[in-house]
Amino acid sequence: MLTIESLSKSFDNGKSYALEDVTFSLKAGQVCAIVGESGSGKTTLVRLIAGLERPDLGTVKMDGKVMASLGKFVQPEKRKIGLVFQEYALFPHLTVLDNVLYGISKVKNKKERAQKMLTLVGLEDMGQRYPHQLSGGQQQRVALARALAPEPELLILDEPFSNLDAMLRTQLRNEVFDIIRKTKVSVLFVTHDTQDALSVADEILILQNGKVVQKDAASNLYVNPNTLYVASLFGSTVRINKNLQNAFKCPLKETCCHAIRNEKIKVNPSSGDFDCEYITSAKVIKKIELGDSVQLLLKLESGEQLTVMTQDKNIEDTINIGFNSKDILEFDQER
Amino acid sequence: MKQVGNKQHVFSLKTRLQRLKRDGNKWSVFTLAIVFFLALPIMFIGVKLFSGPGETWSHIVDYLLPEYIWNSLYLVLVCSILALIFGISSAWFVSRFEFPLRKQLEWLLILPLAIPSYIVGYAYAGIFDYGGSLDLLFRQMDFDFIRIDIMNKAGLAFVLSISLFPYVYVSARAFFLNQANNLFEASKMLGVSEGKSFFKLMLPLARPAIVAGLVLVWMEVLNDYGAASYYGVNTFTTGIFRSWFSLEEPETAVYLSALLIAIIFALILFEKWQARKVKFTSAKTNSTQMQRRVLTKSMKCLLFCVVFLPVLLGFVLPLLQLIYWAVLTASTVFDLKFLITSLQSFGIAMASSIITVFFALLLIYFSKWSTLRFIKNIARIGVLGYAIPGAVIAIGIMLPTLALDKWLIKILGDFGITSGFIINGTLIALFYAYAVRFLAVAYNPIDSTALKVDSSISDSSKVLGVGNLKTFFKIEFPLIKTGVFSAIILVFIDVMKELPLTLILKPYHIDTLAVKAFEYASDEMVMEASIPSLFIIFTAMIPVIFLNKLLIKK
Repeated sequence: MLTIESLSKSFDNGKSYALEDVTFSLKAGQVCAIVGESGSGKTTLVRLIAGLERPDLGTVKMDGKVMASLGKFVQPEKRKIGLVFQEYALFPHLTVLDNVLYGISKVKNKKERAQKMLTLVGLEDMGQRYPHQLSGGQQQRVALARALAPEPELLILDEPFSNLDAMLRTQLRNEVFDIIRKTKVSVLFVTHDTQDALSVADEILILQNGKVVQKDAASNLYVNPNTLYVASLFGSTVRINKNLQNAFKCPLKETCCHAIRNEKIKVNPSSGDFDCEYITSAKVIKKIELGDSVQLLLKLESGEQLTVMTQDKNIEDTINIGFNSKDILEFDQER
Repeated sequence: MKQVGNKQHVFSLKTRLQRLKRDGNKWSVFTLAIVFFLALPIMFIGVKLFSGPGETWSHIVDYLLPEYIWNSLYLVLVCSILALIFGISSAWFVSRFEFPLRKQLEWLLILPLAIPSYIVGYAYAGIFDYGGSLDLLFRQMDFDFIRIDIMNKAGLAFVLSISLFPYVYVSARAFFLNQANNLFEASKMLGVSEGKSFFKLMLPLARPAIVAGLVLVWMEVLNDYGAASYYGVNTFTTGIFRSWFSLEEPETAVYLSALLIAIIFALILFEKWQARKVKFTSAKTNSTQMQRRVLTKSMKCLLFCVVFLPVLLGFVLPLLQLIYWAVLTASTVFDLKFLITSLQSFGIAMASSIITVFFALLLIYFSKWSTLRFIKNIARIGVLGYAIPGAVIAIGIMLPTLALDKWLIKILGDFGITSGFIINGTLIALFYAYAVRFLAVAYNPIDSTALKVDSSISDSSKVLGVGNLKTFFKIEFPLIKTGVFSAIILVFIDVMKELPLTLILKPYHIDTLAVKAFEYASDEMVMEASIPSLFIIFTAMIPVIFLNKLLIKK
């Protein structure tokens, strides 16, 4: 339903790009998460799709119709896109109900529709309140109801949970996506949190410095990351350089770049077998107890430092660590 | 992902043109039209330069111009020094120390702005005059050999700086109160003394803010006509008036205006340059306010005196002198005609403030709706009128409207209709001039409240299917109402106080309080000038206090 072709945006006349040559598409009814560090161009991308920015090069199409290109530009108010902002952007001088009614003033049964939307988000009794009288989570749901009321074809959520604390966040994320799934709208979901993305998205698009580095099914990204950057987005990852190869005595192809997730590096247990293909010994420099597990800062004989996690609390000063070849990630050398 | 080649790093002319065509909209055109309308008087002065100087120009260059330049620069320099001393010291003391009546003094220090500088000038002339208040006082004390002549350049500089220093005070205080507290505390924690922390840290940090306030002092000094002409000091503005009214040589007035504009732009460039070199202040304001130091009794008294002095000189003394005069002249000045003048003055100020605010709103929102980025920079040109002295703007409007009127009369004559001037010498020209001159006064408070309205709020409205205009009326205007309201009040005060522009452009049969005060003073009836002056001061005072409340809230 949404097709983006080599979209580029520069805020300084082409000296640098906020977004460079981005191409992807979204199927109807799917949830696609856009993940990247801050400054990677996530927000610029969705603002271009919503029509709040104008592309310097490239095309935005919805259902085959051109929304933005070099020669054409459809105003945001004509695009049938719903947008929930990071800061919710509720109209402070309007009641909750009026906020929801705002986008559907020309619809016939607008009162019923607005009420239905408030019921959907579980705020049916809050219609007469003003935004500042609501909690953060409630404001969030009003913003969602307001965006969904005009029945958009595409819903964009721009970092919708980043203003909430960790406890509320997971709960609200699940609630919001339960509501969204009921409406069958297509969703673009911007986040810097990979947990958010993994838990709700069908597909994930990874941006780095304004470029797409990978777009894949959520389940595949963890196992088959394209680059070290993508791999480390989903948990800290160590590059297996020459020193580590020597230490672990694991011969690897020189044309490729290899890495291992820290969580896949195993620690020799105080009792029982240790079955790893590549093993080396290391000195424990520092132990940090994190509740039920222990984080160890290790120093190898070659001088390399590594961080690993273990459940075992009886750690000696010198230990064996190792990993298996099936856990090694492989990328092209240049990246 | 393949690396994208360098081919994109410079946009081709063709794609640029395509984008220009795609992004240009009616709002871009409207913005340009408004900027053109606002810049027209200045452009006209530029164009008029090409038709050559007047007959007396060479005479003026030889005999008067050096004096104009020297006097204007002298005034700018001396006023800067005095305004900095008064403004910075009072701003620092009220931000840093606790002493009796500090809270009251904080807003009293702004009140000198309520008295137009020419009126302060009249009051001081009365105080220092032979047989004036001070003279009488000295005679009582047998000091009658002392007489201070104030009717000269130095006296004028004193009068201007004592009435304009609050511009420096306001911006310096805003900085001391809100911006640099954590740095000052850090400096103290490092064991640096109070005085050294101020001179080595706070003063350099506050420089951009202070100079920004100082620029306003310069503009007002160069704009002044009333005080300079009363004190008999020849400046650019008095020169423009003389060549316009006495010599009846518009060309010479145009040449002087152009020179004055050049000097002002040089000063503005200097300000921009110094602000560019230092950009250390963060946009974020500190949440913690400066903890004021409690002092010993004698220090408290001393600080109170130091801070009260500028209030005394800039507000209390002139006001007392004016009230004294008003009591003496009340019976002769108050009559029906005076009432009509007051009403005319209020009416003109009200109408022109609404018109000006309207143009400011158009400029802000049209340029916002224009999607071309460079349009937003061009829109800033429309705000430059505040830097241009009123007399210069008046000349820039007088000449084209005269020409337009002559043309209109000829056209109408062809249709057999006889008509007088339609624009020139009517309120239309006056309102136009006020809008050009005071647009910035309206623009800044509206723009700053508009910026506080999160851009995502207007974006939300658009994504919800509502266009620009409707978004403005339903969402943006309700949220910027306070800004619009304070803009109207600020322009209202400025129009009430305005003199040179009004003198040149006002319709023959209409008077404002400012003009009335000026006429009394020029007719050797300075005592009678006190009553219209007091009217202006009291109208201006209430909003100045209101403005201070806003400032504290910020």
